[in-house]
Amino acid sequence: MSNTTDPNAILATLYRENHRWLRGWLNRQLQCPQDAADLTQDTFLRALYSRQLEEIQEPRAFLGTLARRLLCNFWRRRQLERSYLEALVLLPDNCVPSEEDIALVREAIEAIDQLLDGLPRRARRAFLLNRLDGLTQPEIAARLGISLATVERDLRRAYLHCLTYPEQP
Amino acid sequence: MNRTEPDGPTQAAVDWVIRLDPSRSTQADRQAFTAWLAADPCHEAAWQRVSGLLQQPFSDLQNAETRHPGQLTAARRALNTPASPQRRRLLGGLSMLALGLGGTAAVNRIMPLNGLLADHHTATGTRKTVTLADGSRLILNARSAADIHFDNVRRLVQLYDGELLVQVAADPLRPFLVITDHGQVRALGTQFLVRRDSDRSLVSVLEHEVQLENEAGRQARLQSGQAVWFDNQGFQPAMNGLQTRASWANGYLEVQDEPLGNLIEALRPYYLGLLRISPAAAQIRTFGIFQLDDIQQTLCSLAETLPVRVSSYGPLLTMIEQA
Repeated sequence: MSNTTDPNAILATLYRENHRWLRGWLNRQLQCPQDAADLTQDTFLRALYSRQLEEIQEPRAFLGTLARRLLCNFWRRRQLERSYLEALVLLPDNCVPSEEDIALVREAIEAIDQLLDGLPRRARRAFLLNRLDGLTQPEIAARLGISLATVERDLRRAYLHCLTYPEQP
Repeated sequence: MNRTEPDGPTQAAVDWVIRLDPSRSTQADRQAFTAWLAADPCHEAAWQRVSGLLQQPFSDLQNAETRHPGQLTAARRALNTPASPQRRRLLGGLSMLALGLGGTAAVNRIMPLNGLLADHHTATGTRKTVTLADGSRLILNARSAADIHFDNVRRLVQLYDGELLVQVAADPLRPFLVITDHGQVRALGTQFLVRRDSDRSLVSVLEHEVQLENEAGRQARLQSGQAVWFDNQGFQPAMNGLQTRASWANGYLEVQDEPLGNLIEALRPYYLGLLRISPAAAQIRTFGIFQLDDIQQTLCSLAETLPVRVSSYGPLLTMIEQA
Protein backbone atom coordinates (compact mmCIF):
# COMPACT_ATOMS: atom_id res chain seq x y z
CA MET A 1 0.00 0.00 0.00
CA SER A 2 1.14 3.57 -0.55
CA ASN A 3 2.17 5.58 2.48
CA THR A 4 -0.29 8.45 1.96
CA THR A 5 -2.90 9.08 4.67
CA ASP A 6 -5.58 10.56 2.40
CA PRO A 7 -8.47 8.09 2.72
CA ASN A 8 -9.53 8.59 -0.88
CA ALA A 9 -6.04 7.86 -2.17
CA ILE A 10 -5.77 4.80 0.06
CA LEU A 11 -9.14 3.62 -1.15
CA ALA A 12 -8.20 4.22 -4.78
CA THR A 13 -5.13 2.01 -4.37
CA LEU A 14 -7.11 -0.57 -2.45
CA TYR A 15 -9.71 -0.58 -5.18
CA ARG A 16 -7.25 -0.76 -8.06
CA GLU A 17 -5.32 -3.63 -6.57
CA ASN A 18 -8.20 -5.71 -5.25
CA HIS A 19 -11.53 -5.04 -6.88
CA ARG A 20 -11.10 -7.61 -9.63
CA TRP A 21 -10.13 -10.27 -7.12
CA LEU A 22 -13.02 -9.37 -4.82
CA ARG A 23 -15.58 -9.35 -7.58
CA GLY A 24 -14.35 -12.75 -8.76
CA TRP A 25 -14.60 -14.16 -5.25
CA LEU A 26 -18.10 -12.76 -4.76
CA ASN A 27 -19.18 -13.99 -8.15
CA ARG A 28 -18.11 -17.52 -7.23
CA GLN A 29 -20.20 -17.28 -4.08
CA LEU A 30 -23.23 -15.70 -5.73
CA GLN A 31 -23.12 -17.09 -9.27
CA CYS A 32 -24.47 -13.78 -10.46
CA PRO A 33 -22.24 -11.06 -11.96
CA GLN A 34 -24.69 -8.21 -11.21
CA ASP A 35 -25.09 -9.09 -7.54
CA ALA A 36 -21.33 -9.64 -7.29
CA ALA A 37 -20.67 -6.20 -8.78
CA ASP A 38 -23.14 -4.58 -6.35
CA LEU A 39 -21.65 -6.27 -3.32
CA THR A 40 -18.14 -5.37 -4.49
CA GLN A 41 -19.13 -1.71 -4.51
CA ASP A 42 -20.78 -2.07 -1.11
CA THR A 43 -17.65 -3.68 0.31
CA PHE A 44 -15.46 -0.78 -0.81
CA LEU A 45 -17.99 1.69 0.57
CA ARG A 46 -17.84 -0.07 3.92
CA ALA A 47 -14.06 0.02 3.71
CA LEU A 48 -14.16 3.77 3.11
CA TYR A 49 -16.31 4.32 6.20
CA SER A 50 -14.24 2.04 8.40
CA ARG A 51 -11.96 3.91 10.70
CA GLN A 52 -9.06 1.57 10.20
CA LEU A 53 -8.50 2.32 6.55
CA GLU A 54 -4.92 3.56 6.92
CA GLU A 55 -3.96 0.76 9.30
CA ILE A 56 -4.81 -2.10 7.00
CA GLN A 57 -1.97 -4.59 6.83
CA GLU A 58 -3.66 -7.37 4.91
CA PRO A 59 -6.04 -5.68 2.47
CA ARG A 60 -7.51 -8.92 1.14
CA ALA A 61 -8.19 -10.35 4.58
CA PHE A 62 -9.80 -7.07 5.57
CA LEU A 63 -11.93 -6.81 2.42
CA GLY A 64 -12.80 -10.48 2.69
CA THR A 65 -14.15 -9.99 6.21
CA LEU A 66 -16.29 -7.05 5.15
CA ALA A 67 -17.50 -8.89 2.06
CA ARG A 68 -18.37 -12.05 4.01
CA ARG A 69 -20.48 -10.02 6.39
CA LEU A 70 -22.28 -8.30 3.51
CA LEU A 71 -22.74 -11.64 1.80
CA CYS A 72 -24.35 -13.11 4.92
CA ASN A 73 -26.76 -10.19 5.12
CA PHE A 74 -27.47 -10.47 1.45
CA TRP A 75 -28.30 -14.17 1.71
CA ARG A 76 -30.42 -13.63 4.75
CA ARG A 77 -32.39 -10.89 2.99
CA ARG A 78 -32.93 -13.19 0.05
CA GLN A 79 -34.04 -15.99 2.32
CA LEU A 80 -36.50 -13.70 4.10
CA GLU A 81 -37.78 -12.40 0.80
CA ARG A 82 -38.25 -15.90 -0.50
CA SER A 83 -40.05 -17.10 2.62
CA TYR A 84 -42.31 -14.09 2.44
CA LEU A 85 -43.10 -14.58 -1.24
CA GLU A 86 -43.68 -18.28 -0.66
CA ALA A 87 -46.20 -17.33 1.99
CA LEU A 88 -47.82 -14.90 -0.44
CA VAL A 89 -48.23 -17.68 -2.96
CA LEU A 90 -50.25 -19.55 -0.36
CA LEU A 91 -52.74 -16.70 -0.06
CA PRO A 92 -55.86 -16.66 -2.20
CA ASP A 93 -55.39 -14.56 -5.35
CA ASN A 94 -57.64 -11.76 -4.11
CA CYS A 95 -55.54 -11.28 -0.97
CA VAL A 96 -52.32 -10.38 -2.75
CA PRO A 97 -51.21 -6.93 -1.62
CA SER A 98 -50.24 -3.98 -3.73
CA GLU A 99 -46.66 -3.48 -4.84
CA GLU A 100 -46.26 -0.70 -2.27
CA ASP A 101 -47.44 -2.93 0.55
CA ILE A 102 -45.13 -5.73 -0.54
CA ALA A 103 -42.21 -3.31 -0.37
CA LEU A 104 -43.37 -2.05 3.03
CA VAL A 105 -43.77 -5.52 4.48
CA ARG A 106 -40.40 -6.65 3.13
CA GLU A 107 -38.68 -3.69 4.73
CA ALA A 108 -40.46 -4.29 8.02
CA ILE A 109 -39.46 -7.96 7.99
CA GLU A 110 -35.84 -7.04 7.30
CA ALA A 111 -35.76 -4.42 10.05
CA ILE A 112 -37.19 -6.83 12.62
CA ASP A 113 -34.99 -9.70 11.51
CA GLN A 114 -31.85 -7.61 11.62
CA LEU A 115 -32.47 -6.56 15.19
CA LEU A 116 -33.31 -10.10 16.29
CA ASP A 117 -30.27 -11.56 14.54
CA GLY A 118 -28.36 -13.84 16.87
CA LEU A 119 -31.18 -14.25 19.37
CA PRO A 120 -31.88 -17.89 20.29
CA ARG A 121 -34.83 -19.35 18.44
CA ARG A 122 -37.22 -19.77 21.35
CA ALA A 123 -36.69 -16.24 22.62
CA ARG A 124 -37.20 -14.98 19.09
CA ARG A 125 -40.53 -16.78 18.78
CA ALA A 126 -41.68 -15.61 22.19
CA PHE A 127 -40.84 -12.02 21.31
CA LEU A 128 -42.63 -12.20 17.95
CA LEU A 129 -45.71 -13.79 19.50
CA ASN A 130 -45.73 -10.97 22.04
CA ARG A 131 -45.08 -8.01 19.76
CA LEU A 132 -46.38 -9.16 16.39
CA ASP A 133 -49.40 -11.18 17.50
CA GLY A 134 -50.11 -9.38 20.77
CA LEU A 135 -50.18 -12.58 22.84
CA THR A 136 -49.92 -12.26 26.63
CA GLN A 137 -47.21 -14.09 28.55
CA PRO A 138 -49.49 -16.98 29.67
CA GLU A 139 -50.72 -17.38 26.07
CA ILE A 140 -47.13 -17.57 24.83
CA ALA A 141 -46.30 -20.11 27.54
CA ALA A 142 -49.22 -22.27 26.38
CA ARG A 143 -48.35 -21.86 22.71
CA LEU A 144 -44.69 -22.79 23.12
CA GLY A 145 -45.26 -25.36 25.87
CA ILE A 146 -42.88 -23.65 28.30
CA SER A 147 -43.28 -22.21 31.78
CA LEU A 148 -44.34 -18.65 32.46
CA ALA A 149 -40.98 -17.97 34.08
CA THR A 150 -39.22 -19.08 30.90
CA VAL A 151 -41.39 -16.80 28.79
CA GLU A 152 -40.49 -13.90 31.05
CA ARG A 153 -36.81 -14.71 30.82
CA ASP A 154 -36.99 -15.09 27.03
CA LEU A 155 -38.82 -11.79 26.58
CA ARG A 156 -36.37 -9.96 28.80
CA ARG A 157 -33.52 -11.47 26.87
CA ALA A 158 -35.08 -10.47 23.54
CA TYR A 159 -35.59 -6.87 24.64
CA LEU A 160 -32.05 -6.56 25.94
CA HIS A 161 -30.74 -8.17 22.77
CA CYS A 162 -32.50 -5.58 20.60
CA LEU A 163 -31.50 -2.69 22.83
CA THR A 164 -27.84 -3.57 22.58
CA TYR A 165 -27.82 -3.94 18.81
CA PRO A 166 -24.19 -3.44 17.83
CA GLU A 167 -23.16 -0.59 15.57
CA GLN A 168 -22.10 -1.81 12.14
CA PRO A 169 -18.64 -0.63 11.06
CA MET B 1 -19.75 -6.23 16.77
CA ASN B 2 -19.64 -6.03 20.55
CA ARG B 3 -22.77 -5.70 22.59
CA THR B 4 -22.60 -3.46 25.60
CA GLU B 5 -24.66 -3.90 28.74
CA PRO B 6 -27.67 -1.52 28.71
CA ASP B 7 -27.73 1.14 31.40
CA GLY B 8 -29.72 0.82 34.66
CA PRO B 9 -32.84 2.78 33.60
CA THR B 10 -33.05 0.79 30.35
CA GLN B 11 -32.89 -2.50 32.26
CA ALA B 12 -35.56 -1.21 34.63
CA ALA B 13 -37.75 -0.21 31.69
CA VAL B 14 -37.45 -3.75 30.29
CA ASP B 15 -38.53 -5.11 33.64
CA TRP B 16 -41.56 -2.84 33.49
CA VAL B 17 -42.52 -4.01 30.00
CA ILE B 18 -42.49 -7.58 31.31
CA ARG B 19 -44.33 -6.76 34.51
CA LEU B 20 -47.06 -4.74 32.78
CA ASP B 21 -48.24 -7.70 30.70
CA PRO B 22 -52.04 -7.28 30.54
CA SER B 23 -52.59 -10.82 31.83
CA ARG B 24 -51.28 -10.03 35.27
CA SER B 25 -50.53 -6.38 35.97
CA THR B 26 -52.44 -5.06 38.99
CA GLN B 27 -53.58 -1.59 39.90
CA ALA B 28 -50.64 -1.45 42.31
CA ASP B 29 -48.21 -2.32 39.47
CA ARG B 30 -49.53 0.47 37.35
CA GLN B 31 -49.28 2.98 40.18
CA ALA B 32 -45.74 1.91 40.95
CA PHE B 33 -44.91 2.25 37.26
CA THR B 34 -46.31 5.79 37.07
CA ALA B 35 -44.25 6.72 40.11
CA TRP B 36 -41.09 5.25 38.59
CA LEU B 37 -41.71 7.08 35.33
CA ALA B 38 -42.12 10.45 37.13
CA ALA B 39 -39.12 9.93 39.40
CA ASP B 40 -36.47 10.81 36.84
CA PRO B 41 -36.54 12.23 33.28
CA CYS B 42 -34.12 9.55 32.17
CA HIS B 43 -36.69 6.92 33.22
CA GLU B 44 -39.11 8.30 30.73
CA ALA B 45 -36.44 8.39 28.01
CA ALA B 46 -35.57 4.76 28.78
CA TRP B 47 -39.24 3.78 28.67
CA GLN B 48 -39.65 5.46 25.27
CA ARG B 49 -36.63 3.57 24.00
CA VAL B 50 -37.87 0.19 25.23
CA SER B 51 -41.57 0.46 24.46
CA GLY B 52 -40.85 2.08 21.09
CA LEU B 53 -38.54 -0.74 20.05
CA LEU B 54 -39.41 -1.79 16.50
CA GLN B 55 -42.64 0.16 16.79
CA GLN B 56 -42.45 1.32 13.19
CA PRO B 57 -41.97 -2.05 11.46
CA PHE B 58 -44.52 -3.76 13.69
CA SER B 59 -47.13 -1.11 12.99
CA ASP B 60 -46.28 -1.21 9.25
CA LEU B 61 -47.02 -4.93 9.33
CA GLN B 62 -50.25 -4.46 11.23
CA ASN B 63 -51.41 -1.77 8.79
CA ALA B 64 -50.57 -3.96 5.82
CA GLU B 65 -52.60 -6.72 7.49
CA THR B 66 -55.60 -4.41 7.75
CA ARG B 67 -55.41 -3.58 4.05
CA HIS B 68 -54.61 -7.11 2.88
CA PRO B 69 -55.43 -9.90 5.35
CA GLY B 70 -52.73 -12.54 5.43
CA GLN B 71 -49.71 -10.22 5.53
CA LEU B 72 -49.08 -10.91 9.20
CA THR B 73 -49.10 -14.64 8.56
CA ALA B 74 -46.71 -14.19 5.66
CA ALA B 75 -44.40 -11.99 7.73
CA ARG B 76 -44.47 -14.40 10.66
CA ARG B 77 -43.55 -17.22 8.36
CA ALA B 78 -40.62 -15.30 6.95
CA LEU B 79 -39.41 -14.20 10.37
CA ASN B 80 -39.52 -17.73 11.73
CA THR B 81 -37.27 -18.95 8.93
CA PRO B 82 -34.14 -20.19 10.64
CA ALA B 83 -30.90 -18.82 9.25
CA SER B 84 -28.62 -21.78 8.90
CA PRO B 85 -25.28 -21.22 7.21
CA GLN B 86 -25.76 -24.33 5.09
CA ARG B 87 -29.12 -23.08 3.92
CA ARG B 88 -27.63 -19.70 3.09
CA ARG B 89 -25.05 -21.39 0.93
CA LEU B 90 -27.58 -23.56 -0.80
CA LEU B 91 -30.14 -20.92 -1.55
CA GLY B 92 -28.34 -19.53 -4.55
CA GLY B 93 -28.80 -22.59 -6.72
CA LEU B 94 -31.68 -24.44 -5.19
CA SER B 95 -34.40 -21.87 -5.10
CA MET B 96 -36.86 -23.98 -7.06
CA LEU B 97 -36.32 -26.93 -4.78
CA ALA B 98 -37.03 -24.79 -1.74
CA LEU B 99 -40.22 -23.67 -3.40
CA GLY B 100 -41.32 -27.24 -3.90
CA LEU B 101 -41.29 -27.77 -0.17
CA GLY B 102 -43.33 -24.67 0.52
CA GLY B 103 -46.63 -26.27 1.52
CA THR B 104 -49.77 -27.78 0.12
CA ALA B 105 -51.03 -24.81 -1.84
CA ALA B 106 -47.63 -24.10 -3.34
CA VAL B 107 -47.33 -27.74 -4.30
CA ASN B 108 -50.76 -27.49 -5.82
CA ARG B 109 -49.60 -24.76 -8.13
CA ILE B 110 -46.77 -26.90 -9.34
CA MET B 111 -48.65 -30.16 -9.56
CA PRO B 112 -52.35 -30.39 -8.78
CA LEU B 113 -52.64 -32.81 -5.88
CA ASN B 114 -55.63 -34.73 -7.19
CA GLY B 115 -53.61 -35.07 -10.38
CA LEU B 116 -50.86 -37.05 -8.73
CA LEU B 117 -53.14 -40.06 -8.51
CA ALA B 118 -54.49 -39.78 -12.06
CA ASP B 119 -53.23 -41.93 -14.95
CA HIS B 120 -51.91 -38.91 -16.76
CA HIS B 121 -51.01 -35.57 -15.30
CA THR B 122 -48.94 -32.57 -16.21
CA ALA B 123 -47.03 -30.18 -14.02
CA THR B 124 -46.87 -26.43 -14.35
CA GLY B 125 -45.42 -25.40 -17.68
CA THR B 126 -45.49 -28.83 -19.36
CA ARG B 127 -47.79 -30.48 -21.88
CA LYS B 128 -48.11 -34.15 -22.59
CA THR B 129 -49.23 -36.08 -25.64
CA VAL B 130 -50.68 -39.54 -25.04
CA THR B 131 -51.50 -42.04 -27.76
CA LEU B 132 -54.29 -44.29 -26.54
CA ALA B 133 -54.73 -48.00 -27.22
CA ASP B 134 -57.21 -47.34 -30.03
CA GLY B 135 -54.93 -44.84 -31.78
CA SER B 136 -56.75 -41.78 -30.48
CA ARG B 137 -54.53 -38.97 -29.32
CA LEU B 138 -54.84 -36.86 -26.19
CA ILE B 139 -52.86 -33.70 -25.54
CA LEU B 140 -52.95 -32.54 -21.95
CA ASN B 141 -52.36 -28.85 -21.30
CA ALA B 142 -50.20 -27.77 -18.36
CA ARG B 143 -51.52 -28.42 -14.82
CA SER B 144 -54.03 -31.00 -16.00
CA ALA B 145 -54.98 -34.49 -14.91
CA ALA B 146 -57.02 -37.25 -16.52
CA ASP B 147 -57.78 -40.95 -16.14
CA ILE B 148 -58.26 -43.32 -19.07
CA HIS B 149 -60.80 -46.16 -18.75
CA PHE B 150 -61.13 -48.29 -21.88
CA ASP B 151 -63.21 -51.45 -21.95
CA ASN B 152 -65.23 -53.49 -24.45
CA VAL B 153 -68.23 -51.19 -24.51
CA ARG B 154 -66.78 -47.71 -24.29
CA ARG B 155 -63.70 -45.50 -24.27
CA LEU B 156 -63.82 -43.15 -21.31
CA VAL B 157 -61.53 -40.25 -20.42
CA GLN B 158 -62.16 -38.61 -17.07
CA LEU B 159 -60.81 -35.05 -16.86
CA TYR B 160 -60.14 -33.99 -13.26
CA ASP B 161 -58.33 -30.77 -13.83
CA GLY B 162 -57.14 -28.51 -16.59
CA GLU B 163 -57.64 -28.98 -20.27
CA LEU B 164 -57.20 -31.57 -22.97
CA LEU B 165 -57.42 -31.76 -26.72
CA VAL B 166 -58.57 -35.03 -28.18
CA GLN B 167 -58.35 -36.48 -31.66
CA VAL B 168 -60.59 -39.48 -31.79
CA ALA B 169 -59.86 -42.59 -33.84
CA ALA B 170 -62.94 -44.16 -35.37
CA ASP B 171 -64.45 -47.15 -33.57
CA PRO B 172 -68.12 -47.77 -34.44
CA LEU B 173 -68.60 -50.21 -31.56
CA ARG B 174 -67.27 -48.18 -28.65
CA PRO B 175 -68.28 -44.56 -28.05
CA PHE B 176 -65.56 -42.15 -26.97
CA LEU B 177 -66.54 -40.06 -23.93
CA VAL B 178 -64.82 -37.26 -22.06
CA ILE B 179 -66.34 -36.80 -18.60
CA THR B 180 -65.95 -34.00 -16.07
CA ASP B 181 -67.87 -33.33 -12.86
CA HIS B 182 -70.21 -31.19 -14.92
CA GLY B 183 -71.25 -33.51 -17.69
CA GLN B 184 -70.04 -35.66 -20.56
CA VAL B 185 -68.98 -35.06 -24.14
CA ARG B 186 -69.51 -37.88 -26.61
CA ALA B 187 -67.35 -37.78 -29.73
CA LEU B 188 -69.03 -38.31 -33.07
CA GLY B 189 -65.79 -38.92 -34.95
CA THR B 190 -63.91 -35.71 -34.32
CA GLN B 191 -61.44 -33.34 -32.75
CA PHE B 192 -62.45 -31.26 -29.75
CA LEU B 193 -61.15 -29.80 -26.54
CA VAL B 194 -62.53 -30.01 -23.04
CA ARG B 195 -61.55 -27.82 -20.16
CA ARG B 196 -62.55 -28.23 -16.55
CA ASP B 197 -62.73 -25.16 -14.33
CA SER B 198 -63.76 -25.35 -10.70
CA ASP B 199 -67.43 -24.54 -11.22
CA ARG B 200 -68.08 -25.41 -14.86
CA SER B 201 -66.57 -27.08 -17.91
CA LEU B 202 -66.09 -26.05 -21.51
CA VAL B 203 -66.27 -28.02 -24.73
CA SER B 204 -65.08 -26.54 -28.00
CA VAL B 205 -65.57 -28.52 -31.21
CA LEU B 206 -62.76 -28.16 -33.75
CA GLU B 207 -63.90 -30.77 -36.28
CA HIS B 208 -67.17 -32.58 -36.90
CA GLU B 209 -69.58 -32.94 -34.02
CA VAL B 210 -70.01 -33.92 -30.39
CA GLN B 211 -73.01 -34.82 -28.27
CA LEU B 212 -73.03 -33.00 -24.95
CA GLU B 213 -74.97 -34.10 -21.89
CA ASN B 214 -74.82 -32.47 -18.47
CA GLU B 215 -75.30 -34.14 -15.10
CA ALA B 216 -78.99 -33.19 -15.14
CA GLY B 217 -79.51 -35.10 -18.37
CA ARG B 218 -79.89 -32.15 -20.69
CA GLN B 219 -78.45 -32.76 -24.15
CA ALA B 220 -77.19 -30.77 -27.11
CA ARG B 221 -75.43 -31.54 -30.37
CA LEU B 222 -72.57 -29.19 -31.22
CA GLN B 223 -71.06 -28.58 -34.63
CA SER B 224 -67.54 -27.70 -35.61
CA GLY B 225 -66.75 -24.14 -34.48
CA GLN B 226 -69.24 -24.22 -31.60
CA ALA B 227 -68.22 -23.95 -27.98
CA VAL B 228 -70.34 -24.27 -24.86
CA TRP B 229 -69.84 -23.90 -21.11
CA PHE B 230 -71.74 -26.56 -19.20
CA ASP B 231 -72.58 -27.32 -15.58
CA ASN B 232 -75.42 -29.00 -13.71
CA GLN B 233 -77.69 -26.04 -14.37
CA GLY B 234 -77.42 -26.01 -18.14
CA PHE B 235 -75.47 -24.75 -21.14
CA GLN B 236 -74.13 -21.38 -22.06
CA PRO B 237 -72.56 -20.51 -25.41
CA ALA B 238 -68.86 -19.62 -25.10
CA MET B 239 -67.41 -16.62 -26.91
CA ASN B 240 -64.99 -17.57 -29.63
CA GLY B 241 -61.53 -16.71 -28.34
CA LEU B 242 -58.43 -17.94 -26.57
CA GLN B 243 -60.30 -20.51 -24.51
CA THR B 244 -62.05 -22.13 -27.43
CA ARG B 245 -58.91 -22.48 -29.55
CA ALA B 246 -56.29 -25.16 -29.19
CA SER B 247 -53.10 -23.43 -30.32
CA TRP B 248 -51.65 -24.17 -26.85
CA ALA B 249 -51.24 -27.75 -28.06
CA ASN B 250 -48.58 -26.36 -30.42
CA GLY B 251 -46.90 -24.30 -27.74
CA TYR B 252 -48.29 -20.84 -28.36
CA LEU B 253 -51.33 -18.68 -27.75
CA GLU B 254 -52.84 -16.57 -30.44
CA VAL B 255 -54.76 -13.56 -29.22
CA GLN B 256 -56.99 -11.46 -31.45
CA ASP B 257 -58.41 -8.40 -29.77
CA GLU B 258 -59.08 -9.87 -26.35
CA PRO B 259 -58.65 -8.42 -22.87
CA LEU B 260 -55.17 -9.01 -21.47
CA GLY B 261 -56.82 -10.73 -18.50
CA ASN B 262 -57.83 -13.65 -20.76
CA LEU B 263 -54.26 -14.10 -21.93
CA ILE B 264 -52.98 -14.07 -18.35
CA GLU B 265 -55.57 -16.71 -17.38
CA ALA B 266 -54.27 -18.93 -20.15
CA LEU B 267 -50.64 -18.35 -19.06
CA ARG B 268 -51.26 -19.27 -15.42
CA PRO B 269 -50.79 -23.02 -15.84
CA TYR B 270 -47.35 -22.22 -17.23
CA TYR B 271 -46.20 -20.04 -14.36
CA LEU B 272 -45.04 -21.62 -11.14
CA GLY B 273 -45.72 -18.72 -8.86
CA LEU B 274 -48.42 -16.17 -8.57
CA LEU B 275 -49.38 -14.05 -11.57
CA ARG B 276 -51.27 -10.99 -10.58
CA ILE B 277 -52.87 -8.48 -12.91
CA SER B 278 -54.52 -5.24 -11.90
CA PRO B 279 -58.17 -4.78 -12.97
CA ALA B 280 -57.19 -1.87 -15.25
CA ALA B 281 -54.45 -3.85 -16.98
CA ALA B 282 -56.78 -6.83 -17.40
CA GLN B 283 -59.02 -4.72 -19.66
CA ILE B 284 -56.28 -3.74 -22.15
CA ARG B 285 -57.03 -5.09 -25.63
CA THR B 286 -54.39 -7.52 -26.75
CA PHE B 287 -53.22 -8.90 -30.10
CA GLY B 288 -50.38 -11.22 -30.92
CA ILE B 289 -48.77 -14.59 -30.63
CA PHE B 290 -47.29 -15.57 -27.29
CA GLN B 291 -44.94 -18.49 -26.69
CA LEU B 292 -45.79 -20.80 -23.80
CA ASP B 293 -42.49 -22.50 -23.29
CA ASP B 294 -40.46 -19.52 -22.12
CA ILE B 295 -42.99 -17.94 -19.84
CA GLN B 296 -40.58 -15.44 -18.30
CA GLN B 297 -39.70 -14.13 -21.75
CA THR B 298 -43.37 -13.98 -22.72
CA LEU B 299 -44.18 -11.96 -19.63
CA CYS B 300 -41.30 -9.60 -20.38
CA SER B 301 -42.49 -9.15 -23.96
CA LEU B 302 -45.87 -7.93 -22.68
CA ALA B 303 -44.18 -4.84 -21.30
CA GLU B 304 -42.61 -4.13 -24.71
CA THR B 305 -45.79 -4.36 -26.72
CA LEU B 306 -48.49 -3.18 -24.31
CA PRO B 307 -48.88 -0.18 -22.02
CA VAL B 308 -48.16 -2.27 -18.94
CA ARG B 309 -45.48 -2.54 -16.31
CA VAL B 310 -44.33 -6.06 -15.47
CA SER B 311 -42.56 -6.44 -12.12
CA SER B 312 -41.08 -9.78 -11.12
CA TYR B 313 -40.24 -10.66 -7.55
CA GLY B 314 -38.01 -13.63 -8.09
CA PRO B 315 -39.55 -16.72 -9.62
CA LEU B 316 -42.57 -16.62 -7.34
CA LEU B 317 -44.52 -13.52 -8.06
CA THR B 318 -45.08 -11.36 -11.11
CA MET B 319 -47.34 -8.34 -11.16
CA ILE B 320 -48.77 -6.73 -14.25
CA GLU B 321 -50.08 -3.21 -13.95
CA GLN B 322 -51.16 -0.49 -16.30
CA ALA B 323 -48.18 1.71 -17.12
